[in-house]
Amino acid sequence: MKNGADAVIRVHGLHKHFGSNHVVRGVDLAVERGEVLVIIGPSGSGKSTFLRCLNFLEEYDGGEVWFGDNLVGYRRGANGKLLRDRERNIAHVRAQMGMVFQSFNLFPYKTVLENVIEGPVIVQGEPVDQARAFGLDLLRKVGIHDKADAYPSRISGGQQQRAAIARALAMRPKAMLFDEPTSALDPELVGEVLDVMKGLAAEGMTMVVVTHEMNFAREVADRVVMMDEGLFVETGPPAEIFSAPRLPRTAEFLRRVIH
Amino acid sequence: MSYTWHFGILLDYQVVFYRAAAVTIEVTMGSLAIGLTLGLTLGMMRLSRHAVLRWPAVFYIELFRSTPVLVQLVWIYYALPVLSGVQMGNVATLIVGLGLHSAAYLAEIFRAGILSIDRGQMDAAKAIGMGYLQAMRRIILPPAVRRMIPPFINEFATLMKLTTLGTVLAVSELLHESENLINNTYRPLEIYTVLALVFAAIIFPFIYLSQRLEKALTVRS
Repeated sequence: MKNGADAVIRVHGLHKHFGSNHVVRGVDLAVERGEVLVIIGPSGSGKSTFLRCLNFLEEYDGGEVWFGDNLVGYRRGANGKLLRDRERNIAHVRAQMGMVFQSFNLFPYKTVLENVIEGPVIVQGEPVDQARAFGLDLLRKVGIHDKADAYPSRISGGQQQRAAIARALAMRPKAMLFDEPTSALDPELVGEVLDVMKGLAAEGMTMVVVTHEMNFAREVADRVVMMDEGLFVETGPPAEIFSAPRLPRTAEFLRRVIH
Repeated sequence: MSYTWHFGILLDYQVVFYRAAAVTIEVTMGSLAIGLTLGLTLGMMRLSRHAVLRWPAVFYIELFRSTPVLVQLVWIYYALPVLSGVQMGNVATLIVGLGLHSAAYLAEIFRAGILSIDRGQMDAAKAIGMGYLQAMRRIILPPAVRRMIPPFINEFATLMKLTTLGTVLAVSELLHESENLINNTYRPLEIYTVLALVFAAIIFPFIYLSQRLEKALTVRS
């Protein structure tokens, strides 16, 4: 089953239906360690659904997702058939992948620092003092150290998203998934979040990013994937995709988003 | 208007009201404890994606919501022993019966409260490696329960008034004791008036508190 010896995430023939709606229609992918992969494409093309299949927030119904040596979400039963994995195993795999959401999804009744240490303390059983110290380091790194004791509703969208990134990093993830992290932000706040993401990429974090920020894709991505109608229709280094797209629909999409 | 009110004689019997009020409160608290525990379980079962959990909960909730409480109580007291050999005392029957009944309504309050929390909260909790029950307990239920406080108190008041059905099982709660008192004193108008006031005196503080809480919570969010 293995290909790409150093791949962190491997996807084989992935399918996902919502009722009769076939959203992901057979996708293959291998994300190498330290790679930044950016997925672009028109809305409704299945990008977010694909990303959410990687940590089983969406339960895919065909194909396989591998995270390291773990098959994500399923286990092989006695007769060789795939069964839904135990909740505990699914959670264990998820804990190793950070995820950042379009709508931040911070816990509103917890302070920024409490949001950040929730996973390490509750899920990983880390001592509170140690988790707080690491949490404060992370908040310093994303530049909102002074907001540690603020509640999410009291800080800006950009600060909330940076807090959400710190919350994901607190789990010491092996890869980070970003689901349109800047789409809900006012334009002037987009930059501060992208800067944090660029910093992570520079440190060698493995990242899968769904975004409409084409400049980010051009500057930071190692590989860009164009998704359309549930399929990866074109893949390549950003220079190639942006300057000489192979497919007319990629060219057409880029023309519409880059004015 | 020739009726002369004689509230004075009730002063001699005030201890009857204290004792009966204690029974009423005991039954209310007991059945509330059963109702909350079972209600949370049923509410979560009804939200489950597994049909084997969901359907029994739906059946239970709709059965108890669509039959009269009085019939449920009498059934548990008289029919259950015949079928199962389990005979509970009248107070136990009242507590269990009202507990089972309120569980159906509380389950729906829990379900609505859980559904009112943004789906992204569960996503975020799962993404940091929490299991479903852990996410419920740590992330979903705390804010959901805050929103449930007003309907809970409403249900609490309803439950306390339903304890008067205990009179058909001869439980010495407020209504039953009042009726006994009427047989001794022949003062039904005074006694029913005081009975109503006693209920109001117990329940009103909770309703007041619920309104205060509701206001405080809307201000904060």
